[in-house]
Amino acid sequence: MKRAKRHVISKERRATVLAGIIILQGLCALFFIGDVITDLSEGEHLDDLHLALESIAAFALVGGVVFLMIELRRVLARMTDMDTGLKVAQGQIAEVMDGFFDAWRLTDAERDVAVMLLKGLDNDEIARVRQTASGTVRAQTANIYSKSDTHSRAEFISLFMEELMSGDFSRSVPDPFEGSGY
Amino acid sequence: MSVIADPVSGREGARDVAVWDPLVRLIHWSLALMILLNGAITDDESKLHEWVGYVALGLVGLRIVWAFIGPRHARFSAFRPSIARAVQYTRAVMRGDRTVHLSHNPLGALMVYNLWLAVIGLGVTGYMMTTLRFFGVGWLEEMHEGLFVWLIFSVALHVAGVAFDTWRSGVNLVRAMVVGRKRIPQGTDVE
Repeated sequence: MKRAKRHVISKERRATVLAGIIILQGLCALFFIGDVITDLSEGEHLDDLHLALESIAAFALVGGVVFLMIELRRVLARMTDMDTGLKVAQGQIAEVMDGFFDAWRLTDAERDVAVMLLKGLDNDEIARVRQTASGTVRAQTANIYSKSDTHSRAEFISLFMEELMSGDFSRSVPDPFEGSGY
Repeated sequence: MSVIADPVSGREGARDVAVWDPLVRLIHWSLALMILLNGAITDDESKLHEWVGYVALGLVGLRIVWAFIGPRHARFSAFRPSIARAVQYTRAVMRGDRTVHLSHNPLGALMVYNLWLAVIGLGVTGYMMTTLRFFGVGWLEEMHEGLFVWLIFSVALHVAGVAFDTWRSGVNLVRAMVVGRKRIPQGTDVE
């Protein structure tokens, strides 16, 4: 998930750079167009090599700006897709966890501990976060293992991995973020 | 479940919605800078003043092209100019409605067009003043100055509007124009 997030950020940077180039190139295009118009009004003709080249440059720049704008739009659309996918995935994991915890009838405290187990905290860290004795945490993890019919942290975590890998990821999760994105 | 809730994903509390793409933001702040430069810093008679003016004109031009081919919230269709909707919106606000608009709100939309027209007007009159035909023509200079006063008045109104709407809706609009996302408080309607 972190990697995906980093990917979104790098795309964001790419979009910003593209936007900057569009502005610079747009202003250059304006400069050339202005120059061509001035030259024309001063009586030069298009068959003059200098003016012809300048006109071509102006057209090319305008075309480039439009092309970059379309490209930027594509990058933005891809960012939105990735962002939605990420959120759906996050929502999915939370849903899977909730489903399991409900089925095992975990208490609220055990739920918190279970989440931290999944996030990779060890017993001492969990005790510190929850401000309880590490003995309490050990008792709670033992409860969680017995309720989930597992015997170790690895086995416990693999339950969730299995669910996520077997399940169809896009299954009917309503998108709570409609209207989000570009 | 407080441990899972990630403030950014917004399953609890406020949610972040991407609205302003980087091009819109860059153009916005560049244009603000150009107006500041020409209004307060450059010498009115200088070449620099002319160039800054043309850049401002170009920025507005780019924004208008982007309003045709850009993403959803940047398009004309997201903020059509409509006096009727602006009036309706003002009434709703006075009734205490707190609906959040993802793009510009109807009053803000009118301000957008007003600011663009003012900058275009300034650019065109400014350019005309440099041509031989209109050089030193009195009414043109007065028009340029009149438009500038109107622009500054509009900018002040724009800033006041942003401050008011931020206070009213709880969505920090300045932050939205910097980072591109509106943080919408939970339980607010979105349009």
